[in-house]
Amino acid sequence: MYRIRFHGRGGQGMKTASRILGTAFFIEGFEVQDAQRYGAERRGAPIFAYVRADRTAIHERGVIGRPDLVVVADDTLVPVSAAGVMQGIGPDTVLLIDSAESEKTWRERLNLQGPILVLPRLIPLEPSEMAYVGTECAAAAACLTGIISLASVRQAVQQELAYMKAGVVDRNVEIASGAFARMAAHSGIVQEGGTTSHHDRTVPSWVDLPADDIGESSPAIYGAATSVAVRTGLWRSMRPVVDTSRCNRCTWICGSFCPDSAIARGSEGYPQIDLDHCKGCMICVAQCPPHAIVAIPEAEAVAQEKEGAAS
Amino acid sequence: MTEARFQRMKDLPSTHLLGAGTAMCAGCGGLAAVTEVYDVLGENTVFVNAAGCMTLLSVYPFTPFRGSWLYTAMASAPAGAQGVRDALDILRAKGRITPEEDLQVVVLSGDGAAGGIGLSATSAAIDRGLDFIYLCYDNEGYGNTGQQTSSATPHGALTATDALRSGFAGWKKDLFAIWVANKPAYAATVIGGEPLDLARKLEKARSMDGPRMILALAPCPAGWGYDPEHSVEIARLAVKTGIWPLKEYADGETVHTRLPHPRQPVENYLKLQGRFAHLFEPARDEPRLKEIQDAVDAYWAPLEAEHAGG
Repeated sequence: MYRIRFHGRGGQGMKTASRILGTAFFIEGFEVQDAQRYGAERRGAPIFAYVRADRTAIHERGVIGRPDLVVVADDTLVPVSAAGVMQGIGPDTVLLIDSAESEKTWRERLNLQGPILVLPRLIPLEPSEMAYVGTECAAAAACLTGIISLASVRQAVQQELAYMKAGVVDRNVEIASGAFARMAAHSGIVQEGGTTSHHDRTVPSWVDLPADDIGESSPAIYGAATSVAVRTGLWRSMRPVVDTSRCNRCTWICGSFCPDSAIARGSEGYPQIDLDHCKGCMICVAQCPPHAIVAIPEAEAVAQEKEGAAS
Repeated sequence: MTEARFQRMKDLPSTHLLGAGTAMCAGCGGLAAVTEVYDVLGENTVFVNAAGCMTLLSVYPFTPFRGSWLYTAMASAPAGAQGVRDALDILRAKGRITPEEDLQVVVLSGDGAAGGIGLSATSAAIDRGLDFIYLCYDNEGYGNTGQQTSSATPHGALTATDALRSGFAGWKKDLFAIWVANKPAYAATVIGGEPLDLARKLEKARSMDGPRMILALAPCPAGWGYDPEHSVEIARLAVKTGIWPLKEYADGETVHTRLPHPRQPVENYLKLQGRFAHLFEPARDEPRLKEIQDAVDAYWAPLEAEHAGG
């Protein structure tokens, strides 16, 4: 049985990726399960979806614990433990990362024994093209199994996206074909994992825990606004930057429209953007009367900061 | 008199009470409204939250609030509010809290709970004259689970439950009218993209007693299908096209706080959203667009006639 997990951010089309791959498997005659992990559906928040495919009926249920292939659509998720990207990765698991960085970098960073592949980005994806990443990942995954033809992938894309505009479907088919071709050298690298049975499961050794006092088991939180400890700035793919030479210092505009309480009035009256919490919605960019706030890609901003720190 | 606090955008609070770091989507129109509401109501507010997107605001041990927050099932938030109000009244009667320490009880609920699952409990709370504010962030669907159809879904909109992708055949339920029919102390429609109008209404609501309702249209990037940066633009267009009338009810009378003039065609609002894309592509669905425009025109016709006459 093939067990494949897709990790990405809400809006990148991970659910669609699992559907496209599932349908491609189905066209090839497999029994298939594909599902998105149920949870709160948030743009920018970590999301995953998974596919099981086998030649016989599938009795396994639930989230895939031991994947044969893990596809990561957004490489910034790898260090986010809540995203669970690394969960259950064994020596035979193939890791495919959509990243601007090299295989070597990822190998050193993650210290994994299994194969790591990098899916180089076809185009600098515009925010509006974010959802194409899912199609790209699905097609690359299909190629890596070595048992799905390009024709089946194309048919699956057309079938799953049939409700979209013709131009968008064509663009997705084109992107799928490109990703499939770029992975050709690694076709068949993903090996089917064996079947598992609940009989093989290692029974955990149970430890008795006495019931705690209510004050310890459900302590009350008296602190105000503790949510600031959560760094939602990690969601951001674009960063708003204030050009003070054009800024009118009317922070009641950007500061009122920011839905995340992330813009304050700084000491000189310029808006101060709280980058630990700005989720990158870009409402401030759209609403700034003198267009003094611009959006730059987060990766670029981080690189500039590093350069600034080094010099 | 109380409205004098907010004359211009500049008068709006420059620091916000609601903490950052919540799990709401980037560009959430509901969070924008809740942030603005909390700024006006102040720290002495206790939220009773019906299940929905906003229940993810407080996930132990993290909370964006500065005071208490209570999580209830979708149908029972007004009952929860009753319990909290009763407890506060008892503390007041026993002299254990001063009038200054008393709290404003606010139900926070989405449109699924407000107009559907929780409507009967709400109706009963108004009947009992419960002293509370009911704040509904209306994103026109069950957004937290992927935007399934709710009773607040507008005509023609695509939702996750629309397998045929033909658009919602029904019409958005008029929750404001339902509240007004119950004769509450106050009811108002607001939107986060018009913060000044919202602040004035909240300032008025907080000075009153009894059942009060604030209905905030909440543009939803994920559920409505648009890029988060357009949230405020879409909110403004909802008002300018007349699809979201800004109004308030008090003392038996409904007054519109904004008369969109000139009123823009509704398609300026619809065409920015993926959930209405099928009305424009591959071909314009003229009968459907006309139906939606006609409904908006019919709503405004008497008001515009009155305005022109006066």
